[in-house]
Amino acid sequence: MNELSRAHIRDLMSQVLANQGRVLPDDDAADLREIGFRSLDFSELALRVEDATGEELNFDAPGLRRIATVGDVLDFLESLQRQ
Amino acid sequence: MTVGTLAGLDNRIVVAGRVTTWRDLPEPALPSPAAVLTAGPAEALAAARHHAAYGTELLLTSAARMDRAMRDELRAAGFTVTGPGSDAEPAVRSRPAEPGRLWLLTSGSTGRPKRVGHTLESLTTVRGVQPARTWLCPYASGTYAWWQVVTLSLTQPGQHLVVVDADELDDWPALAAAHGVDAASGTPTFWRRTLHRDPAALARVPLRQLTLGGEPVDQAVLDRLREVFPAARISWIYASSEVGASIVVHDGRAGFPVGWLDRRLPGRPTLSVDGEELVIISPHHGAGLDGPVRTGDRVQVVDGRVLITGRLDSDEINVGGSKVSAGLVRGVLAAHPRLAWARVSGRRAPLLGRMVVAEVVPTASDDAPDEAELVRWCADRLPEHAVPRRIRLLPEIPVKETLKSDV
Repeated sequence: MNELSRAHIRDLMSQVLANQGRVLPDDDAADLREIGFRSLDFSELALRVEDATGEELNFDAPGLRRIATVGDVLDFLESLQRQ
Repeated sequence: MTVGTLAGLDNRIVVAGRVTTWRDLPEPALPSPAAVLTAGPAEALAAARHHAAYGTELLLTSAARMDRAMRDELRAAGFTVTGPGSDAEPAVRSRPAEPGRLWLLTSGSTGRPKRVGHTLESLTTVRGVQPARTWLCPYASGTYAWWQVVTLSLTQPGQHLVVVDADELDDWPALAAAHGVDAASGTPTFWRRTLHRDPAALARVPLRQLTLGGEPVDQAVLDRLREVFPAARISWIYASSEVGASIVVHDGRAGFPVGWLDRRLPGRPTLSVDGEELVIISPHHGAGLDGPVRTGDRVQVVDGRVLITGRLDSDEINVGGSKVSAGLVRGVLAAHPRLAWARVSGRRAPLLGRMVVAEVVPTASDDAPDEAELVRWCADRLPEHAVPRRIRLLPEIPVKETLKSDV
């Protein structure tokens, strides 16, 4: 699998928000609710990771319960790639 | 219908670079029943003329559509299969021919093509006296749309025909202008490709009648054709091998008036909607298809118009429990002034099940809108879950032999 770096995933997350006219804060502690990053955005980010790696990602809503910040998203997708 | 009643035999035909008439086409020797797989349009016209003269049982299609298994199926069904560059393959079982029977193959867009029985009579849907026209025929031989143009020319004096072979499709406006084509029928994909490739060449064709059919017709393609041909009649037709030509709309708008639903008029198709599916009772139906036929096409009523948005099994995209019509999203993208074509589909996505994605072709490659601009365009016109989240640029409008791009 072509594993993406944390910085690369952050770039993709930034693109998702830019397409919605929003900006990804530099701070990993930024709250997802405050920046308006919702389930549609999360799914789009997953598709972008899939396109970049050529691998299908599988996860569902329960797996995202504890995701509240930008850093949580990056941690989650980093760990998902290693599964 | 016999050759004696065919009033168009002296109409002019341009095929394979040659000008001739129906009457002067070469006479092929065809068995009956025969499945004729043609390599080019001249052979197809000759086979159609032969059928009209002798009423032989005929299935006509292009060789490219027929694989080995389908040939064997036809031979098992009693057809002698004749193809280009090879000896006729005899029927596996002998049976009497069905006089006057014409067989069409469905497009096969949702599976293997099926045979639908017609006659020259049931395929002839234009019967009133028509103004003289020179028609372009770009369709693949033996399709319902091809037979529509062919029967018009065979049965009506003054309906001339210019047939375009598949390898001439990209340059058809030059051929059409050279032969005075003033009426043309094609799929929306056919028209979009032409508008995209060379709108100036298209504008030089003296068209007075433009017809679209075979795929969902959106407002953008009608408007763009209207800009090029402000005085022409622009019509769209809903037709299929199963129910024939059932809806004809001339008002330049996508969809048809909701008042046409459930209207029963003698000799006219009855249109209705069951759930979200278009159901048609048609006088132009294929054999055994009298009564209500479920078309498999999805419709939505928007602003008093019934829009045909696509195939029932592919038009609806479920995004996290919210329904999205791919056809309506496609219509929004197609209306972008710097896009020539769009295809919208659902893509499997974690969390939501499916997401809306799109492929688009820009009008000019050096002035293509970027993904963010297209997302904003859609976000201004669609609910959030219907906005395509991944949009891929293609260099050219894809097209199949059927002149469709399976949008």
